[in-house]
Amino acid sequence: MITLTHFLLVSACIFCIGMYAVLAKRNAIMILVGIELMINAAILNFVAFSKYDKTNYGGQIFALFAIVLAAAAVAVGLAIILNVYRHFNTINPKNMHELKD
Amino acid sequence: MNELLPISPINASVLIALLPFLAFLIQAVLGKTQTSGNISLVAIILSTTLSLFWVFPAVWNHDQQTLKLVWFVIGEYDLNVGVLLNNLTVLMQLIVCIIALPVHIYSKAYMKADPGLHRYWMFLSLFCFAMLSLTISINLFQSYIFWELVGFASYLLIGYWFTKDSAVQANKKAFLVNRIGDIGFLIGIALIYSHVGTLDLTMLFGPSGVFNPSSLEHGQSLVIDTDASWRTWAGICFFLGAMAKSAQFPLHIWLPDAMEGPTSVSSLIHAATMVAAGVFLLCTIFPLFNATVLLLIAIIGTLTAISGAIFALGQQDIKKILAFSTISQLGFMMVGVGIGAWDSAMFHLGTHAFFKCLLFLCAGAVIHEMAHLKKHRNLEFDPQNLRNMGGLRKYMPKTFLCMSIASLALAGFPLTAGYLSKDSIVVGAFEWGAYHGGWHMIIPITLIIVSILTAFYIGRLIWKAFFGNFRFADLLNTDHTMREAPVLMLAPMIFLALCCFAPAFSLQPLDYHASWLMQGLHVQTAYPAIPSAHLYIPVILSIGAIVSWFIGWKWYTQREYPFSTGNKLVQLANNQFYLNEFNEVIFVNSIKRLSGFLYFVDRKVVDGLTYLFTNLIQSIARAVNWLDKNVIDGLVNMVANSTYYLGHLVRHVQNGQLQGYLGFALTVLILGFLYLIIK
Repeated sequence: MITLTHFLLVSACIFCIGMYAVLAKRNAIMILVGIELMINAAILNFVAFSKYDKTNYGGQIFALFAIVLAAAAVAVGLAIILNVYRHFNTINPKNMHELKD
Repeated sequence: MNELLPISPINASVLIALLPFLAFLIQAVLGKTQTSGNISLVAIILSTTLSLFWVFPAVWNHDQQTLKLVWFVIGEYDLNVGVLLNNLTVLMQLIVCIIALPVHIYSKAYMKADPGLHRYWMFLSLFCFAMLSLTISINLFQSYIFWELVGFASYLLIGYWFTKDSAVQANKKAFLVNRIGDIGFLIGIALIYSHVGTLDLTMLFGPSGVFNPSSLEHGQSLVIDTDASWRTWAGICFFLGAMAKSAQFPLHIWLPDAMEGPTSVSSLIHAATMVAAGVFLLCTIFPLFNATVLLLIAIIGTLTAISGAIFALGQQDIKKILAFSTISQLGFMMVGVGIGAWDSAMFHLGTHAFFKCLLFLCAGAVIHEMAHLKKHRNLEFDPQNLRNMGGLRKYMPKTFLCMSIASLALAGFPLTAGYLSKDSIVVGAFEWGAYHGGWHMIIPITLIIVSILTAFYIGRLIWKAFFGNFRFADLLNTDHTMREAPVLMLAPMIFLALCCFAPAFSLQPLDYHASWLMQGLHVQTAYPAIPSAHLYIPVILSIGAIVSWFIGWKWYTQREYPFSTGNKLVQLANNQFYLNEFNEVIFVNSIKRLSGFLYFVDRKVVDGLTYLFTNLIQSIARAVNWLDKNVIDGLVNMVANSTYYLGHLVRHVQNGQLQGYLGFALTVLILGFLYLIIK
């Protein structure tokens, strides 16, 4: 019997993997992928919790909304990475420390 | 003469003194171009003319004349400078002029072609100026100024050949010894001023001066007690000044060394300008002296007379003999002052000036010829040494004649001027000794012995230089021979020789009381005259002189000399009783040791204290420096360093790495959750 807990565990695992990718990867594309993973983990939670809203399906609606947003965000993110590459000739975040004072 | 040129004696006497000074200034300005000496010569001729025809006849045996000008005022005391003309001062001024004139003429020939001639004439004029001014000073302080100038000018002239080491030593010695006397003079002036309050000669020693015994009768309010101890001290101090200037034993040591100067300068120093100043000073301030000081003067004078005569016996240098004879004759003058007969002292000063100047000029002529021979033949010998002379009367008969006349005068032979003046002193001393009795008789007896010794040593000089055989006779030939002195040198000598005869001073050549000089200066002495002494003392002296000359002739021309060359007594006299060596050991060395000790004290104690202090301060400074560096700076540095370290610790957070920021934020978030969970 698959319960809500299993969903939440899977979601947590995906979130952690995404988090790991964001913190540790040496490639901006992979970081973007990590971000997508974390968004998807959150969407999974929306969907899982929507079983308690059988009338409006608010969770599922919000999940759809989030997927669209995530797609737009990825587009923006890829555009930024492209510009970063043009500017720095690299996409390794280690070599970008313009944020430092 | 006054109709020719209406000039007052005061102005004329000032002019007499200033003319040589003017000559000195002109020559100082013109410098090396002025070597002829004509300026000095003209100045001294004018001075002599003025002195002889305007000043002397107008003042001699007339009332004294004075001129006083206020120089400066200190408080209520105003210091006067001015001119004092009386018998004594005009006589002295005249003597200086009349001696300086022949010396100037003689120098023109004698000093010819000397490389430093412009200096010679300059210094000579300065010397004359100083002495001529000293004679007419009205104020003791003014006298002191010119006294010092005389000393300074003589220093310059003695050291005239300054490239010669001996000349430099000699003028240094003369200067230093004279300093001792000058201190005495200065202390004397201070004593008089502090007790009487004036330095004016007329107010002190004039006819109504505070020191004059006759002023008691004039009811003078301020009369000084004769036996006051300060008066004795002041007298001794002034005498000390005169001792150094007039070369009295034991301060005579500078005079023989002063022979390093040119001979013409020696003659001037010995005759009129330098050594006469001391005797003149004592005559000027004579009323100051009380019985104690006078006795001291007489004793020192006698000592000087006998020691000078004995030293003269052993000398080989022709100028040294004359130098010691001057010392001896100055001793006579001092005795004259000491027995109260300062008129005799002045008389002897006057006659001595002529014959001593002449002796030096003749010696100069001889040395001149000897030096010529030495240069011409490239010989190596001392041109002043008597041993190298002999038989010169054949070559230089006129010089010989002049020197003989001067020697007769020095020996006090009858009909010469020296006879009159020397007898006046010896007879005076005899009368004085007889009046006081007892051991006082030693002084006249010593003087008689000295007179005979004088005759002997001057005879020795004549015999050795002018008789016998000339040592270099075989070197003389037709193209170079010993010649008579040139006429420029001979003329002054002949003039002085004429002045050596008695008629120049007295028309009655055997009685010194008849001399115009003695009558003009006449001094009333306390002791009675002894008529018989006037007869037998001159007779004893003349016979003694003749006998001594005969002995000298036997010894020196007949080669019957009784002493071996190394005779102890002769050596002793030649070395002046080792007086210079004595001074060297006692005074010079002890002063050297003292200064060495003081140097040591200075180096070790005074400098040591300074070093100690320095080191102390340095160590304190070092300690403070350490404290400042390590404690005060340490505290500040500690604060700074710890802040830095803290910042260093957290600076890695802000590294500009996006992932680092995210990781850090995540950590803090987790820590926050943990905190919330644990709480």
